[in-house]
Amino acid sequence: MTKPLISVKDLTLRFKTDEGLVTAVNNVSFEIAPGEVLGLVGESGSGKSVTAKSLMMLNADNAVYDEGSKITLNIDGEEHDVLSLKRPAEQMVIRGGAISMIFQEPMASFAPAITIGEQMVEQLMIHSDMTRAKAKEISVEMLTRVGIPEPAERFGQYAFEFSGGMRQRAMIAMALSTKPRLLIADEPTTALDVTIQAQVIDLMKDLVAEFHMSILFITHDLGVIAQTADRVAVMYLGNLVETGTVRQVINTPSHPYTRGLLNSLPKLDDLEAPLTPVPGDIPSPLDRPSGCVFHTRCVESDDIAERCRSEIPVTSIGTDDHRVDCHLANPRGQA
Amino acid sequence: MSDILIRANNLSVHFPLNRVGFGERPVVRACEGINIEIEKGSFFGLVGESGSGKTTLGRAMLKAAPISHGEVIYTDDDVTYDLGSLQGAELKEYRKRSQLIFQDPYAALSPRMTVRDIIAEPLEVMGLTSSREETDTKVREIAEKCRLNLEHLRRFPHAFSGGQRQRISIARALVSDPKFIVADESVAALDVSIQADVLNLLNSIQRERGITFLFISHDLSVIAHTCDFVAVMYLGQIVESAPTRKLFSETAHPYTRALLSAIPSLDPDVSGNAQKLEGEIPSPINPPPGCRFNTRCPHAQERCRSEVPEWREYSTGHHVACHFAEELS
Amino acid sequence: MTETAIIEETDANVDQKRKEAYFTAGQGQLIWARFKKQKAAMVGAGLLIVLILSGFFAPFLTPYDPTIAGRNKDYLNGAPNVPSFCDDHGCSLRPFIYSFKRSRSIETNFRWVTKIDTSLEARRYVVFFPQGDEYTLLGMDLSTHLFGVDSGKIHIFGTDATGKDIYSRTLQAINTSLAVGTIGVFIAFVLALIIGGISGYYGGWIDSMLQMMTDAVRTIPTIPLFMALAAFIPATWSSETRFFFISIILGFVGWPTLARRVRTHLLTERNQEYVLAAQLCGASAGHVIRRHLLPSFTSYIIVDLIISFPYMVLSETALSFIGLGLKDPVNSLGVMLQNVTSADVLLNYQWYFIPVFFFITLVLAFVFVGDGLRDAADPYADTKK
Repeated sequence: MTKPLISVKDLTLRFKTDEGLVTAVNNVSFEIAPGEVLGLVGESGSGKSVTAKSLMMLNADNAVYDEGSKITLNIDGEEHDVLSLKRPAEQMVIRGGAISMIFQEPMASFAPAITIGEQMVEQLMIHSDMTRAKAKEISVEMLTRVGIPEPAERFGQYAFEFSGGMRQRAMIAMALSTKPRLLIADEPTTALDVTIQAQVIDLMKDLVAEFHMSILFITHDLGVIAQTADRVAVMYLGNLVETGTVRQVINTPSHPYTRGLLNSLPKLDDLEAPLTPVPGDIPSPLDRPSGCVFHTRCVESDDIAERCRSEIPVTSIGTDDHRVDCHLANPRGQA
Repeated sequence: MSDILIRANNLSVHFPLNRVGFGERPVVRACEGINIEIEKGSFFGLVGESGSGKTTLGRAMLKAAPISHGEVIYTDDDVTYDLGSLQGAELKEYRKRSQLIFQDPYAALSPRMTVRDIIAEPLEVMGLTSSREETDTKVREIAEKCRLNLEHLRRFPHAFSGGQRQRISIARALVSDPKFIVADESVAALDVSIQADVLNLLNSIQRERGITFLFISHDLSVIAHTCDFVAVMYLGQIVESAPTRKLFSETAHPYTRALLSAIPSLDPDVSGNAQKLEGEIPSPINPPPGCRFNTRCPHAQERCRSEVPEWREYSTGHHVACHFAEELS
Repeated sequence: MTETAIIEETDANVDQKRKEAYFTAGQGQLIWARFKKQKAAMVGAGLLIVLILSGFFAPFLTPYDPTIAGRNKDYLNGAPNVPSFCDDHGCSLRPFIYSFKRSRSIETNFRWVTKIDTSLEARRYVVFFPQGDEYTLLGMDLSTHLFGVDSGKIHIFGTDATGKDIYSRTLQAINTSLAVGTIGVFIAFVLALIIGGISGYYGGWIDSMLQMMTDAVRTIPTIPLFMALAAFIPATWSSETRFFFISIILGFVGWPTLARRVRTHLLTERNQEYVLAAQLCGASAGHVIRRHLLPSFTSYIIVDLIISFPYMVLSETALSFIGLGLKDPVNSLGVMLQNVTSADVLLNYQWYFIPVFFFITLVLAFVFVGDGLRDAADPYADTKK
C-alpha cells in the first residue's frame, strides 16, 4: 500500500472579511496517490479553488486555517507538513517545484510584457541550478511536447500573440517543465472552445501517462471529469459530500447533491427528457445552513428532514472506498 | 403568407479596423452571407465557438450591430420592418418588440438601481405606462413570473446570486411585451444546477406568450434540449441548419460532427470518437479561401480550398454548406 | 427555556435585519459603511472637520484682529504666552499668563529684552467670552471672542515682527487657503466636466483632439507660468482681486488631471452592458447620461475632487511663499512664511513655524480622507464571484 502523494486531513479554512468570519472549506479530507487523477467537482462557493490553493499556501493573508488542519506531502520518502512551512525558501520547494498549478485564464497567468520563453526559463532557473542555455533547451522541448507548432519561434513571443488554446498549452508546458509530482489544474478548459478543450484534455491524459504525475483536476464540468479522472470528489459549500471512483460516483451516485447535479445536465442521448434543476439557490457562505449543509435544497430528505437540519452527517465509507456524507446513506449514524 | 418572424438574406456584418501602415484597411468579416429564417413562436438555436460571429449575428438582428450587406426583414402581425433602413419612430417601435438578454449577469444590471427600477426602466424609457401605479403593477406581475417577490424588488443587484440576477435580466427583457428575444449565452455564466432552472423559465415563457427566441450558445447539449431548430456557425458563416432532431440524427457537415464528438461524454467508458479537430480557429480578418473550414477539416480536398460551397438544401428543412456532405454521411 | 428561545429569535431577527439592510443599501450607504471601517480615514475626517470649522469660525475663536489693526505694539516678535494653572505662588482655577516688561538699555546692547514678572499681582487671568475687536460672521456684526485676557493681550502662538498675533493669523490663513482651494477646485471641476465629459461621451476624433489639447495644457510648467502672470498683475489691483485672480489661475491650470479622470470614467461606463441594455430600449443620450453615467461616476469624482484639494493648497502656499501669490493683508500660510527665511527668525523666533503643523495636518487630513473614500468607493467588484 503505497503512501499517498498528498494527504489532506480535516482542512478547515475561514476568511476574515468585513462581514465576519466566513467558512470557505469545512473539514475536507482526501488523498491523491502518485500517478492518479483526482477530479474536484463543485459549483461556485463550493470551495474547490480555495482547497487547491491551500495545497500551495496560495490563499490570501486573511485566511485562517483551523488548528486540526493538516496537509502532508510525501516525496521521495520524506514527509512535508505543508501548512507549517512559513519561510519562503521552504515554501518554494513546494510551489512550482513539487506542485505546479495551471489556471483558468491563461491570459491572466502570463506576464504580458515578458516573452513566454523568458517566463519558462525563469521558472526553471528558480527551481534548479541549471544554466540558462539548458533551461532554454528544456523549455523548447516542453513546448514541442505540448503540441505547439514552431516552438523555437514561439519561445520568443509574447502572451498576446498566442491564441487561447495555445496559451493554455504553453501554460501546461511551463507548469510541467519542473517535472512536478502533482499538477493542480484549476478549471483549465472552462474558458476554451469545446473543440480546443478536447485537444487539451487529450494532451493532459498523455502527459499523465508519460510523466507519471498526479493531477488535481478542478472543474464544474462532469463530462470532462468522466473522461479524465480516476477518482472524483464532490464539494458543496465548502464540504466534501461524496468521494469515489469515477464510475462509482457517476454511475451510482450516493449523495442527493451529486444525483441532482447529474440530473440537471442536458444529455445528448435523451433529447426529450425535461431539465430538472437542483431547486433553490446556493446559500451565501455567510449563511451556512445548520446540520447537513445541503439540506435546504435536498428533495430526498422529507422523512428525516429534522435530522438533516440539526445533525451534521458522519462520513460513511462503503465498499471500494466510496465515501458519502449523508444521513440517508447512513441511517444508523455509524461510521 | 409566411410564419417567418424574422429573416436574414445574404447578411454580412463587417467591422473595419484601424489602418496599419499603408494599403487596404483590414476588415473583420464577422458575418458573411448569412441566410436564416426564424419562425414565429419558435426557439431557434445558434451554436458556434469563438470567432464564429454568433453574437454579432444576434446583435445585427436587433439592429445593435451595423448591417454591411444584405438585409434583415422583420414581419409580425402589425408591421414589417427592413432593419437596414430603420430609424426614428419606427426604430423605437422595433425596440419595443425586440429585446436582448445578456450573458454576464454581473455586468448587465446597473449596480446603482434597485431591482424595481431596473425592471421598470424599459417601461419608462418607452413610455409604455402612464402612471407610477401602472408601472408598479406591471413590474410586480413580471417579477412574479420570474419568481422574484416584493422584497426582492426593493433590493440592489449586489444582494443576488448569478441565477437570480439572470432572472432579473429576463424580467427586464419581458416587461415591454416583446415578440422577439435574443438570449446571448444567457446561461453560460451560471452554475450547472441553476442553468436548468433558467432554461425552464425561458421555455415556459415561450410557451405562454408565444415569444420567438434566438438562443445563442456554445454549448450544443443545452441547445439540443431547449431549441426546435439549430444553426451551426463557423468563422462568420452558417455551415448547417436543421430541426434539432435532424441535426443530431443526420449530421451533414464535418464541423458539426466534430463539435458533437468533442463534447465529453458522461460515460467514462465511452471515449470520444475519431473526429477530433487539429489546429486553431483562423482569424476572421483573413479567413481561408474557399470553404472556411478547409484548414481544419479532416476531409478537405482541392475543391474545398478554392470553391466556396453553396448553401443548399440537404433534406426537408435541412440546409448545409459543404461540397461533400452526401459522400461523407 | 423560553427566554433563551426569545433571545435566539431576536438574534436571528437582528441578523436578518442587518442582512436586509445590506441588501437594500444604496451606493452611498455602502460607501459610508466601508469608509467607517478605515481608522485613518475617520481620524482624517475628524481633523478635517475641526480645521474647516476653525477656519470658518476663526474671528470668533481668536482674540484679536489678524491684520495690522489688531497688532500689539508693545510685543513685537514676542514669544508665545502659554497659560498655566499653577506656579510657585499656588494654583488657580483660572488659567493665567505672566506680565512682562520690555526695556532697552546699554546693558542689553540696545536690544529689546523682555523681562517676565512672575509675581502674584502681575498675573493676568484668561477670561472667556470677552468683548473685543469687531468682526462680521455670517452677516452678523459681533464682537464676542472665545477667550481673551483681563489686561493687555494674550498671544498663545506669539507675535510676528509687526506685533500681529500669530494664532489669529493662523486660523485666518486656514480659511483663506481653503477658500482659494475651493474656488480653484470648483473652476477646475467645471472645466474638467465639460471637456472630459464631451471627450469621454463622444469618443472618436473629438476625443483625440480634446486629449491633445489637455495634454498640451498639462505640460505647461507652473512656476514659470505664475512668474509670468505675477509680472502681469498690475500693482494697482487690490489684494482681494489678486486673491481671486490666483484662485482662478490655479483652477485653469489644474483641470487637465481632473478632465482625464472624468474621461476615463465615462469611457469605461459607456461600454458597460447595462448602458447597452438601456440604449436597446431606445433610451436617449440624456437618459443614459442622467440615469447611468452620472450616478456611476459621482463617487469617483468626489474622491478626485477631495484629492485635488491639497494640491491646490500646496500650490498656493508655494506661490505665496516665493512672493508670486497672495500678499498682505490677505493672509495665507504662504504669506505667513514669506518672512521666515532670515537667520534672525530661524535662530530666535521659532514660533513663526507653528502654523506649518496646522497645514501639514490639513493636507494630510485631506489625503487620508480622499484615500479612504477611494478605497470605499472602489470595491463594487467584490460582489462578483
